Amino acid sequence: MYPRAFHYHRASSLREATEMLSQLGEEAKLLAGGQSLIPLMKLRFANPAHLVDLNFIQGISYIKQENGAIHIGPLTRHAEIQDSAAAAKITILHDCAAGIADVQVRNRGTIGGSLAEADPSGDWATVLMTLTTDVHCFDGKRKRSIPLRDFVKDAYTTALSHDELVSEISIQLPPKGSGGAYIAFKRAAPVYPTASAAVQLTVEGDTCKEASIALGCVGLTPVRPSEAESALRGQRLSEKTIAAAAEAARTACDPQSDMRGSAEYKREVVGALVKRAVEAAVRRARGEQVEVSHLYA
Amino acid sequence: MNGEPQPGGWVGRELPRKEDNRLLRGRGKFVDDIRLRDMLYLRFVRSPYAHAKVVRVDVSAAEAVPGVVCTLTGPEVAQQTQPFIEIGPDPFARIKDYPFAVSKARYQGEPVAAVIATSPHIADDAAELVQVEYEGLDAVVDAEHALEDKVLLHEDAGTNRVWRGVFEYGDMEKAFREAAHIVSIDHLHFHRFSSTPLENNAVIAHWDAKDEHIYYWCNNSFPSFAIQFLAAHLGIPIDRIRVQTFDIGGSFGIKITSYPQMAACALASKKAGGRPVKWIETRSEHNISSAHGNERTFRDTRVALDRNGVITGIASRHIDDCGAYPRYEPLGCVIWAQVFPGVYRFKNARIDFSQAVTNKCPVGPNRGYSRMQHLWFLERVIDICAHELGIPGDEMRLRNYIRPEEFPYTTPNGCVYDSGNYPKMLRVAKDRIGWDDWKRKQAAARQDGRLIGIGIGTTLDSGTNNFGQSQIVNPHAPFSGNSQGANCKLDIYGEVVVAVGSCPQGQGHETTAAQVVADVLNIHPDMITVRTGFDTERNVHTGASGTYASQFAVSGLSAVHGAAQKLKTEMKRLGAFLLETSEKNLEFGAGQQGPEIRRKDNGQAVNYWRLANVVNVNSAVLPAELYDVTLNCRYVWRAPFKVPDKEKKYGNLTLTYASQLHIAVVEIDRGIFVPRILDYVAVDDCGKVINPPIVEGQVYGATAHGIGAALMESCVYDSVGNMLTATFSDYTPITSMNMPAVKYAHIETPSPHSYSGAKGMGEGGAAPVHTISAALQDALFASGIIIQDSFNNGDSLYRAMVSKEICQADRLVKLEKRF
Repeated sequence: MYPRAFHYHRASSLREATEMLSQLGEEAKLLAGGQSLIPLMKLRFANPAHLVDLNFIQGISYIKQENGAIHIGPLTRHAEIQDSAAAAKITILHDCAAGIADVQVRNRGTIGGSLAEADPSGDWATVLMTLTTDVHCFDGKRKRSIPLRDFVKDAYTTALSHDELVSEISIQLPPKGSGGAYIAFKRAAPVYPTASAAVQLTVEGDTCKEASIALGCVGLTPVRPSEAESALRGQRLSEKTIAAAAEAARTACDPQSDMRGSAEYKREVVGALVKRAVEAAVRRARGEQVEVSHLYA
Repeated sequence: MNGEPQPGGWVGRELPRKEDNRLLRGRGKFVDDIRLRDMLYLRFVRSPYAHAKVVRVDVSAAEAVPGVVCTLTGPEVAQQTQPFIEIGPDPFARIKDYPFAVSKARYQGEPVAAVIATSPHIADDAAELVQVEYEGLDAVVDAEHALEDKVLLHEDAGTNRVWRGVFEYGDMEKAFREAAHIVSIDHLHFHRFSSTPLENNAVIAHWDAKDEHIYYWCNNSFPSFAIQFLAAHLGIPIDRIRVQTFDIGGSFGIKITSYPQMAACALASKKAGGRPVKWIETRSEHNISSAHGNERTFRDTRVALDRNGVITGIASRHIDDCGAYPRYEPLGCVIWAQVFPGVYRFKNARIDFSQAVTNKCPVGPNRGYSRMQHLWFLERVIDICAHELGIPGDEMRLRNYIRPEEFPYTTPNGCVYDSGNYPKMLRVAKDRIGWDDWKRKQAAARQDGRLIGIGIGTTLDSGTNNFGQSQIVNPHAPFSGNSQGANCKLDIYGEVVVAVGSCPQGQGHETTAAQVVADVLNIHPDMITVRTGFDTERNVHTGASGTYASQFAVSGLSAVHGAAQKLKTEMKRLGAFLLETSEKNLEFGAGQQGPEIRRKDNGQAVNYWRLANVVNVNSAVLPAELYDVTLNCRYVWRAPFKVPDKEKKYGNLTLTYASQLHIAVVEIDRGIFVPRILDYVAVDDCGKVINPPIVEGQVYGATAHGIGAALMESCVYDSVGNMLTATFSDYTPITSMNMPAVKYAHIETPSPHSYSGAKGMGEGGAAPVHTISAALQDALFASGIIIQDSFNNGDSLYRAMVSKEICQADRLVKLEKRF
């Protein structure tokens, strides 16, 4: 189907975009990569009266390393992150970018759009939750920086006010001896995962010094299974501790039954994904080159 | 019939497809590429309910939108038209099927109204303004529940049972009395899935008031069938309906039943004062309301076996679900009987077959139509019995296969399998996949707690059907036999032009037809033009023309071959006259001036231009005895069928039996329960191969379709009839990401029934569905699991293996050892 008629506005700067948002009111939506918004509009599930297009704003698509952090512009496409040497310093970023949907979606979809959409099945929020991530926001007057865990409020709900937008994402480089992995189970490449697990560990010898885990698609927002993290943190890494972490993650998640699978099945999948992601993260933390791929039906 | 000399040897050669030049350059011509003057656009308003009374339809707000030309609703359509023809008998034939719901909507997505506007955007906007008042009714989504008739879909029929018949052959009493073992299987289920053609349904209809003709540009894949339904429904002589197809982006059978939408577009065009009306189906519409494949449940199966595991009898009760309207049904109630015993030798069987309507999308003849459900059932029977008796799956098959020396083989219900060699296919497949090696790896992996299964699927692709089987479901059905028409001519300037009554959707008909004619005339296939698509006004079609049911290599190419032979005969007479010699002294070929006929003795030649010239524009040079030569030769090929015995349900139902044997090695991931294909081989036997890459391509396509069906693709409804898989995000059609590397091999057992020895192919018998079920059961049988459904994904295997809700052998299967 065709979307309902809407007014199209092209912003030339982030400031102008915020001004348009505040002028046009609640009926206006931002258009970044459009990979969620446009299909929803074509199905007429979303019917914004105004679209403010960010795609012609110069200088908001970049990936750079500064002051111990990776800084990513809001309009940066998944494919650009996938190909970026700077982003590859945090391997889990590459896992995430390279595994999103298919080539067409990765070429259009943006990291800023993904975070601002806050879809419970989105990949970026889950992955970035395991790192120290700040979302920089701008409402035309004031800039503020919000830790990601506070930025994502609920399903499809962020801390952004109506006329505020994401202006940058900054991610602290993990310490030496840290490694991460992101693994999702997807029924087909272009669809959202059934469940996903992001793991970032700091390892010293056989011991896990630090662990952060986030689970995607199994709650209204990415789930942080603190008991799974505790099961690893300060522990000697063994099959047993990893199994305990996986078990704790299964318990912590809160999946819904739907076409992607029953709630019980998704719990089972979460356990398996956490185990595999931890195993890959440990090896990466030890400096091994480990290829990680999503699991497909 | 074999042994026709093949001068150029083009048949059988790896010739690149003629179609690919335009298709790969983006120069294909599809329905949506066509724009006509004053064209309008139609959008359907569809029922959100699976079952509801349509109390009131208010189109006034929609009609008030600038750019809206008119609307259509069910009651006004019912006033102007006859209900569509029903193929089945009374009482179900009493139902009234129209392009729109009239008083009731019977499935989610059924059209209730349509808006016709000057742009598709306006039509979409206005369609939202159509106010429909519904009164919800209880829905029935399960065929077995539907047969209880507690909720009726069609009050006119008074029952939800579309058809019932018992197919019984041999001596069942004796088979079970003398059986050494009896295996009982409570319940098996073949799931509902569909095809996902790249191009959805598309129609342009122009009801021209000037000549009272209806012109269609569409992608219906069986236009000869569609016009028979449309003429009767619209009350217009059939000759006044012109249907043209061009390039079609896949059909797989499910575009056969687009005639209701074609009718809606014609009625819209008429109401709009004769302006052409275009309807391009959206993907969501396609998923929810075009056509799905048949779903089937197999109840109370009992299998008699001798001491060696040879099956001697099968009794079972089958319930087919055809969705809300029968449309092409109840033909599916008999079409499975083309492969009644599958590839096996058992002589005694009793199948009690019923079909029910349910509040779901109507079915259409989805690739492997009606036979794949039955073949899957038989393959499950084979594997379940094999496991119960402790016989390896390969050995079980060898003991039960029809033997190579038994062909042509007459089945218990009178079908004649033309040729085949199933044990050889098994040998080739085992060799290609490295069977012994995989068996060793499997045993070692089991030691490590890994679940690897190796499964075999043997299946049939019966092609060129005998429409006489329709009389088994309805003794009054006026159909039997099968035919295809073709025309081969030298045009006025001597170009060789071929037209055939098929409407290809990727099967390469332009190429293979050219190969056949090239051999007849001993010229290069590039010197032959084959018309694209179907056109009633080419005057070549018969009532059976179209592209469906794995038959072009037999019916289509036989018609082309016959037309080319006819042309050649005329050309010879003409050549003998012009070259002043006997026909025996002539040879066909190409010379300096293109295609020509030469004298063998002195090389003197006459080219095609000259031949066409004297017939068409220079005929005063002809003697009167050559006046009957037209160089424009139509030939109708007819399959040598008889009308089957309707009482006994006995007779030959199909002409050729291509066969497929696939082997899959599958590992079930212990963490996420997803089956992963580790190795896969597909062996195909479609007799003489006309063009190897075209055959191989269709084998890969059918294999992908089948793997998708086995593991990913299912049309799911909730208990009140909401379709849960209306988008690709939910239906998840298979993509290259999910495809294993498929090893391909073929053997050739030529058919005695086609001039070339070819058999129809393309559907592929859904071999991967059978094969993957077999592999999964092999992996899980030791855990007490029987694969009872044709669809198995991570979630369902979790329910089988962990929560043990389904597939439990102790609840489903009973083995009775009698002596």
